[in-house]
Amino acid sequence: MKNKFLKTVAFGLVTTMTATTLLAGCGSKEEKPADEGKEGEKVTLTFPVWDSAQNLYLQDIIEGFEAENPNIKINMVDVAAADYMNKLSTMLNGGNDCDIVYVKDSDSTPSFAKKGQLEDLTSYIEKDGINTDKYISYDDFNLDGKQVAFPFKSDYYVLYYNKDIFDAANVEYPTNDMTWTEWGEMCTKLTSGEGNNKVYGGYLHTWQACVENWAVQDGKNTILGPDYSFMKPYYEMALRMQDAGTIMDYSTLKTGNIAYASPFQQGTVATLPMGTWFSTMMITKAEAGETDVNWGIATLPHPDGVEAGSTVGSTTPLAINANSKHKEEAWEFIKYATGEVGSAALVERGQMPAYQDETTLDAIAAKEGMPEGSAEALKTTNIVLDRPIDSKSAEINQMLSEEHSLIMIKEKPIDDVLTEMGDRAKEIQGK
Amino acid sequence: MEKKAKKQKGVSLTLRQNLVGYSFILPNFIGFFVFIFIPVMFSLALSFSHWDGFTEIEFAGIQNFVDIFKDSVFRDSIWQTAYFTIFTVLFSVIASLGLALLLNQKIKARGFFRSALFFPYVASVVAVSVVFNAMLQPEYGPLNEFLKFIGISNPPGWLASTTWVIPGLIIVNVWRNMGYFMIIYLAGLQGIDQSLYEAAELDGANGWTRFWKITWPLLSPSTFFVVMMLVINSFKVFDLVWLMTNGGPGTSSTMISQYIYNQAFISWDYGKSSAAAMILFLIVALLTAFQFKAEKKIVNY
Repeated sequence: MKNKFLKTVAFGLVTTMTATTLLAGCGSKEEKPADEGKEGEKVTLTFPVWDSAQNLYLQDIIEGFEAENPNIKINMVDVAAADYMNKLSTMLNGGNDCDIVYVKDSDSTPSFAKKGQLEDLTSYIEKDGINTDKYISYDDFNLDGKQVAFPFKSDYYVLYYNKDIFDAANVEYPTNDMTWTEWGEMCTKLTSGEGNNKVYGGYLHTWQACVENWAVQDGKNTILGPDYSFMKPYYEMALRMQDAGTIMDYSTLKTGNIAYASPFQQGTVATLPMGTWFSTMMITKAEAGETDVNWGIATLPHPDGVEAGSTVGSTTPLAINANSKHKEEAWEFIKYATGEVGSAALVERGQMPAYQDETTLDAIAAKEGMPEGSAEALKTTNIVLDRPIDSKSAEINQMLSEEHSLIMIKEKPIDDVLTEMGDRAKEIQGK
Repeated sequence: MEKKAKKQKGVSLTLRQNLVGYSFILPNFIGFFVFIFIPVMFSLALSFSHWDGFTEIEFAGIQNFVDIFKDSVFRDSIWQTAYFTIFTVLFSVIASLGLALLLNQKIKARGFFRSALFFPYVASVVAVSVVFNAMLQPEYGPLNEFLKFIGISNPPGWLASTTWVIPGLIIVNVWRNMGYFMIIYLAGLQGIDQSLYEAAELDGANGWTRFWKITWPLLSPSTFFVVMMLVINSFKVFDLVWLMTNGGPGTSSTMISQYIYNQAFISWDYGKSSAAAMILFLIVALLTAFQFKAEKKIVNY
């Protein structure tokens, strides 16, 4: 009797521990698209996407594309963002379960490419004579001489600022050519008040990216390390500003679960280095009457000796499943989505396209609610990827996030943590 | 002929009865088989393989186990989980038994207090995390305000400190658990025959002696259940830690379950993740088996 109970208990234990870990691993095979049409007939392309209700530009692009190409139908498969990468892997493993590959975490592109799941786009691009210079991060998706993916959407860091705080402190607005040192000094001048009335000159969000990205901005190093000593000056800057009270304290932000948007939208922060996606958030909030901050955008400050307009960001690409039966049609869609029309659709929904020319930035800047001078501020000379296209990026990123907090709460000296990061990075990358 | 038919009918009747019996347990059994047994066996197989979720599965021998034991984060996670478990169990037993003894008295609004104390157990862990994150805030959190008020000038940093993060989590976990286990102790208390106390009183035993000689021994089956449930639950703790600290600062509150999660869903290393899951299973199974062995000595009736 007791033995039996023991067995039951043992089985119960197994369940709870492993079931969750495993279920995600054995997702079921996708249903094949109903339409397997012959040449000349109507073709249906399967296009997995995430959270389509929040990313309305996808629907806009598909509608435009289908109107122009009546013989091609795009079948969007909507997946929750958190499950997306898993689902995509499963679909690619299934062979021709999907035609267009939308890589959410772009740093996993090489994993797919290594398995031969992504079509080399070089010949398609050459055939159509596409000017690839206009695409942000185009070369980052060229792996071993194969163009495995094509840049679609892009986001990069800029400096947001609150004009009213600058006016009140009698400080000139940030220029588009500022170093991080100059930014730090500016923050000191902008900090004022005490307690509930305190205004902070700067704000560094709790993501390690909001310190480490400035260290990789010169393009000489990446977060893969394994020597992380190049990050030291930026950690010193962050701690110095934290001690001086010119930025909010990391522990307060972390334990209070404070999101970067609210302090800025409440007017308690003068400058905020943040991604271009934040513009959309500002416009939406302002339209809803939830913020009346008089904001502006400047180019992200840069390290000493680096050209103005260098920034850090990430790019989400589109690719073709190498096993697709309709590669030509899939390419037609990618060409459309990443081209002028597709990019305009992204801009219309407040997203930054990877395709950029003079008109693109002007169009974004002309959007209602965008501050004056945005077009100039959004110009970039170089965008470094915050997470390099590498299969170990995600794991390294997690490790850096753990170690980052130890520096910011001052549990350990910077040097010790940087060494520890290096050791763990070597271990992860098997070096 | 006649006889044979009768016999056949008899056999098929037993069989039919059996089939009816099996059909009753079938839904449960299918569920168990598909959602528990197969995944567990798959996980066991994976713990001896390399797999990132989409390339081919390769046999790895014991490589994953070697790797995770070399990983200081995993070794730390074992100690951290053990530390968390020991004190959660200890304080939960003290708190829930104390509350049960108190609410077993004939006091005013007893029903209200019982429900109020049970409430944390049914509250959403997300809400609990949000509230306690604020309560334990180092600068302006109510707990540290109180500590400062009673004269502690340098109160702990709680979730923003590698030293205090686990004690902080223990406080929250004990608070969440105590209501449920209080109910179990209350049931145990009500099962104790009042005449024993009357007899003891006649013999001149004071309150303390009555507790140690009657209440505590007779509650041992409840204590056994409470401790076992707490050990199992604490070893598996995930949601609370994930929501409150996400294993930080650094990896100072990373528990085994979160290590499993991180390996599977951040590093996409299902092999290492499954190996860690097997070790967690082994630890919990051994502890549970040990408790059952010890039951005879601990439980008094």
